[in-house]
Amino acid sequence: MNDKKQQDATGIPAAGRAKPALSGIDFAIRYGFLILLAGLLIFFSMATSGFASPRSAVFIFQSVAITGILALGVTFTLVVDGFDLSIGSTATSALMLSAYVLVVWEMNAYVAVAACLAMGALIGLVNGLLIVKTKVPDLLATLGMMFLLVGLQRIPTQGRSIATGMHLPDGSVARGTFPPEFLALGRHRLDFFIPDLIPLSVVILVVIAIAVWLILERTRHGRLMYAIGSNERAAALAGVNVARYKIVAYMISGVLASIGGILLAARLGRGDIASGNNLLLDSVAAALIGFAVLGAAKPNAFGTAIGALFVGILLQGLTMMNAPYYTQDFVKGAVLVVALVFTFALTGRRGKQ
Amino acid sequence: MKLTRRTLLKLTGGMTAAAAFGPSAFAGGMPAPFDKPGVKIALVRYLSTGDFFQAYLSGVEAQAKALKADLHVFDSRQDAALQADMMDQAIALGVKGIVVQHGLTESMQAAVKRALDAGIKVVAFDVNVKNPQVPQVEQSDRDLARLALEQAIRDNGESFKAGYVYVPGIAPLDRRDETWQKFKKKYPGIQEVAQFGTLDNPIANSVANQARSVLQAHPDITVMFAPYDEFAKGVKIAVDEAGLNKQIKIYSADVSTADISAMREKDSAWAATAATNPAVVGEVSVRALAMLLAGEDPGHNVIIPPTLITRKFLNDNDIRNMEDLAKKMPQFAHADVAVPKWMPLPPRG
Repeated sequence: MNDKKQQDATGIPAAGRAKPALSGIDFAIRYGFLILLAGLLIFFSMATSGFASPRSAVFIFQSVAITGILALGVTFTLVVDGFDLSIGSTATSALMLSAYVLVVWEMNAYVAVAACLAMGALIGLVNGLLIVKTKVPDLLATLGMMFLLVGLQRIPTQGRSIATGMHLPDGSVARGTFPPEFLALGRHRLDFFIPDLIPLSVVILVVIAIAVWLILERTRHGRLMYAIGSNERAAALAGVNVARYKIVAYMISGVLASIGGILLAARLGRGDIASGNNLLLDSVAAALIGFAVLGAAKPNAFGTAIGALFVGILLQGLTMMNAPYYTQDFVKGAVLVVALVFTFALTGRRGKQ
Repeated sequence: MKLTRRTLLKLTGGMTAAAAFGPSAFAGGMPAPFDKPGVKIALVRYLSTGDFFQAYLSGVEAQAKALKADLHVFDSRQDAALQADMMDQAIALGVKGIVVQHGLTESMQAAVKRALDAGIKVVAFDVNVKNPQVPQVEQSDRDLARLALEQAIRDNGESFKAGYVYVPGIAPLDRRDETWQKFKKKYPGIQEVAQFGTLDNPIANSVANQARSVLQAHPDITVMFAPYDEFAKGVKIAVDEAGLNKQIKIYSADVSTADISAMREKDSAWAATAATNPAVVGEVSVRALAMLLAGEDPGHNVIIPPTLITRKFLNDNDIRNMEDLAKKMPQFAHADVAVPKWMPLPPRG
């Protein structure tokens, strides 16, 4: 895996590496996944009524907005050859924290959002310090953080969900509510040709995706991160402050995860206790599927976004066809396996030619 | 050893006396072993995460406190093997009685047998341990579903297009499903146009995504039967997002403070839910165990009857949380189940 990465993560855009004439296999590697996506869209449009409509398209974006944002965060950690297992529980901790700030402390939406973002950054900082300074392997450090957060988010409420009217441990009743401007983050819809079409969460996803793409592909910082991911020692010898970039990657991951949690809270309108494991798995799957898009064979923002959409389209289509949940898990797994084969087997062969 | 023999003697003595004079002849009105405080009992749990289980625990604690019993809580957190081990830990601890809360029949059957062999009384909540000596405490899931569906028929007539949220393989959901299948047979006008459901965490968010797709495919649905409150929450989010909250009514099971506020929102589609108070279920579990310890028989099936809670009732009585609900709905605050005369009840707020 490592030697492949070194070839592909040179920082040269994928297009620059393409050979003059695309052979069949190259074509399959580059466009296979996008063609599969188009095929799925056509299949579901024919198989179900109501799939091919602007509203349906917006639903798909909305259903993947949260996992998509988390996936973009985990992409950063993958780029520096790390991994963040704590994103799911960071998101649910942000969900609980925002509910706590709003309902129990009765503060306003801005405080809630600021508190969550600060918490996300702090979690990322701790993750980064654990990995860089104490040399704990990334998987283990973030695994520990995951458990820590799952427990921590339940301590203030003694394991209960947060909702207006709940009794607090001291016997008083929580009177705070989710203010409209906070709920708008998850529920407000902007007019776009059709009134009330695009949810704010989708706009946030698109903005974040473009920002992440710009940072990773178009700035020096992004290229240095890829350089660290492909060969940390070489990057360090070339004068890159590896430790700082790694910590920043985990902080970005934490902040994006907490944004996902804020959107989740705004959609649910309450502080639900949840482990966030499914959020973690779905977003990691999206990021890994992203490796295969355009034959990138490395973590990348565009691929991650397409990966998240791919899963969203599949689930939306299957649900509309009344497929039970276990077939959906099966299909999700199958897509991931195919994507990984694309990435590692096919791209690997191209590298040997 | 001495202690055990003395306690045993007391127990036998107490029981003989109970037969002779009746329970009221005792100091404090309580039969042995509860005439002395500090009777050791244990709660061995399989499920603990979530509002329902938290409230259940609070009921168990309140009733144990009223009995002045010494409660030990073992929490296996969905680990079936660990739960069986915890039964053995409780046995080693020398408890007099054990409440088994959820679990798998396969792993708990033998563990419960070991406890019974050690002379420990056992009651089981929502797990079938297949033992005639163990009373089964249940919230009646079939009645829960029936109450909600009867309300759906009162509100919407005998024919409507319905969406149904269900995940097979979860015992209470399976029992609720039986009732749904019966209702569909009984009322052929009920047309189930979509079935969906997932237990992906956070459940409400995942179900909302599915429900959005379902509403897109079947915009003519007027009734959603979501017999688990997390499902109902998810469906409500989707209905609100699709702007169909005036067209669709949601019927569910279970209730919590958060559910109450969701039901009371302006133009909320969540019309009714049927529920037993989990705290009451916890109290009844301990009371059934206490009766066994005092040598009485709570019966093999200890069933806690559910209550129907409508959106209208909540609004009319300005109910904001579970405590308000218990005050305004006495049948919800307390179940007249397993209450012999001597049984001390937890204080009611």
